[in-house]
Amino acid sequence: MRFRDHMELSLSNLWKVKLRTLLTTAGVVVGIGAFTAMISFGLGMQKNVAEAFRSLDLLNTVIVFPPGGGPGARPDGRDPAAGGESGAGRERGEPAGQAAAVLDDRALEAIAALPGVETAYPDVSFPALVRLNGREEFRLVQVLPARIAGSKAVRIRTGRPYASDEAAEIIVDGFFLRGVGVKDPASILGARLELVSVSFDPSLLAPAGIVSFLQGGALPLNRETYAFTVVGVSESGAFGPEGVLKELMIPPGAAGKIKSLPFRSIWDVFRLQEGRAGYSALNVRLSSPADAESVKTRIRDMGFSTFALADQFAQIRRGFLFLDMVLAAIGMIAVFVAALGIINTMIMSILERTREIGIMKAVGAGDGDVRSVFVFEASVIGFLGGLFGYGLGWAVSRAINRVVNYFLARQGVPAIDYFAFPWWLFLGALAFAVAVSLAAGLYPARRAARVDPVQALRHD
Amino acid sequence: MSRVPEPEAPPERVPAVDVRGLSKTYRLGRVEIPALRDVSFRIAPGTFAAVTGASGSGKSTLLNLVGGLDTPSAGTIAVRGKALAGLDRDGLSRFRRSGVGMVFQSFNLLPARTAHENVAFPLIFSGVAKAERRDRAAALLEQVGLSGRSRHRPAELSGGEQQRVAIARALVNRPPLILADEPTGNLDSGTAREIVGLLAELNRSRGLTILMVTHEAALAREFAHIVIRLRDGRVEAEERLR
Ligand SMILES: Nc1ncnc2c1ncn2[C@@H]1O[C@H](COP(=O)(O)OP(=O)(O)OP(=O)(O)O)[C@@H](O)[C@H]1O
Ligand SMILES: [Mg+2]
Repeated sequence: MRFRDHMELSLSNLWKVKLRTLLTTAGVVVGIGAFTAMISFGLGMQKNVAEAFRSLDLLNTVIVFPPGGGPGARPDGRDPAAGGESGAGRERGEPAGQAAAVLDDRALEAIAALPGVETAYPDVSFPALVRLNGREEFRLVQVLPARIAGSKAVRIRTGRPYASDEAAEIIVDGFFLRGVGVKDPASILGARLELVSVSFDPSLLAPAGIVSFLQGGALPLNRETYAFTVVGVSESGAFGPEGVLKELMIPPGAAGKIKSLPFRSIWDVFRLQEGRAGYSALNVRLSSPADAESVKTRIRDMGFSTFALADQFAQIRRGFLFLDMVLAAIGMIAVFVAALGIINTMIMSILERTREIGIMKAVGAGDGDVRSVFVFEASVIGFLGGLFGYGLGWAVSRAINRVVNYFLARQGVPAIDYFAFPWWLFLGALAFAVAVSLAAGLYPARRAARVDPVQALRHD
Repeated sequence: MSRVPEPEAPPERVPAVDVRGLSKTYRLGRVEIPALRDVSFRIAPGTFAAVTGASGSGKSTLLNLVGGLDTPSAGTIAVRGKALAGLDRDGLSRFRRSGVGMVFQSFNLLPARTAHENVAFPLIFSGVAKAERRDRAAALLEQVGLSGRSRHRPAELSGGEQQRVAIARALVNRPPLILADEPTGNLDSGTAREIVGLLAELNRSRGLTILMVTHEAALAREFAHIVIRLRDGRVEAEERLR
């Protein structure tokens, strides 16, 4: 029996019972559609995170903390889970015997000079009142060197990064703009923005000042107003991690000019209670992710703690594998139900076509011929189901994507593709549909092959 | 059990059908129904043989066994010297494909297919290419006088016409032996005579061996060379007419 004849025979048999073929195939379409959408959602999430990591250069970033500091450390500076892992990717350096290392400018220079380190800059942010268009908002301001602001780490959507570390220029992000009711980012370029620094005055921290505050006196705060020109609007990344992107960014030179806000002194204030000085954290950017291990080791040898997002990325990927498997399992259930539909249809059709099978055998069809006619019918259903199921999954994903992006856009989240459809997903869905249908058709086909021709031809 | 090749007899002396001690017992639960008991006969090539007997005497059982649709409980069947007992399931299906053509009382045509498609149908399983299938089916339809009906479905044909289509289908793989189980059972006497006449004509012109079950003694007498009469699963008489 020739392949083409198999095809023609199967197709004509399916065509004879159009409605049933249609319904059975529809079951596979829905199953594969759900399966495809689930997988593509998992892949999409994974791709978006991976892309965010890559485009923000996060895999090139190592964050350095003072000894015992970093995410998860309590405000009192003591580790809540000594010996235990409180944050993936964080590794502690324990200075053996010597006094605790301080994350000051000397440490910054030493780290910046390490081989494999492109730049190192302090992660400094301070709270400030922001005045723009007559509105006042309380925000965190990030101090970011001009070369970082001009790098990939900050995606400028409109305008440009600030010209130098000394310029009185500021970059705001889209999220902040929406917060203050600015619709068109271009309209804000060149606008005057005032920062009202609100800082503790160390001199007011004297017991007398606190007593006066408790007695209803003035807050121990310094308020100074500084004018900046808005030069750029950056993208507010949906996946942008805290600490790297802030809503407002100013260069260090300009920040240094803010009275009672020299880098050291702010941190002196915050660290004074702990009896330490220095930055709370440094961002270290590597020339290549390959240098991560050696740089981390060198920094830990200096007595600091490190946190590499690359390490966390590996764990995130493991998490996504699990998510993918859960999603695939949900999709599988739908495909499994469709497979039951195929088995049901095939068995029905054998009962109906017993006489036809008898005739086939009487004119010389072998068991294998009968079996393969039925297997072919099942796989045709699988192929069509896979083809249209993939189409359905794609269409539904597109629709969900549009709806989700529409609603998230109102909350200022930029539109992204939540689903991914790599070329192999199409082939995979098709192959999976055909394989499942073949498996479903196997038992009915074997039953068909075993039909006794004498019995089948006996009665009308 | 070693297989010793049987000595080839001269072609003219090899029977077209050689049945020896054939028995078939059906089992329905614990009840045994003997449909055939120790049936033996030989038919020379080119013979038109009729099988008669009362209802339930085992005629259909005999034809199904000779046609390779069923396997005997005891005894042997050899078609043109070839023992069916030596064939496995695939071997039997190959035998049904090219060694024998079957015609049934109820025609057993595929209702959704045209006369032409029905005739060409067996060739699909023989792996014959489409163009040749078309030519062979058309030639056979012409031969049974149905060229003008080739696009009709069975439901659009008379009983006689359907049986002609079935006969053409039985011939399409060019088997040397035709088994017809009451081919005229569903036809009026005039049409029945035409159908048996067609079989007799094929027997004459092509030298086909024909084993035909019939209830109509008059037709058997008119056309057959020999008549085998069955009774309760045994050969009651074997009558040579010409
Ligand atoms: N599959 C079967 N199971 C049980 N008994 C059977 C089976 N097939 C046939 N028989 C029995 O075997 C006997 C012979 O049946 P068979 O069909 O060969 O008779 P027949 O001579 O062809 O009769 P008819 O002229 O009515 O067609 C009958 O008694 C029948 O009931
Ligand atoms: Mg019968």
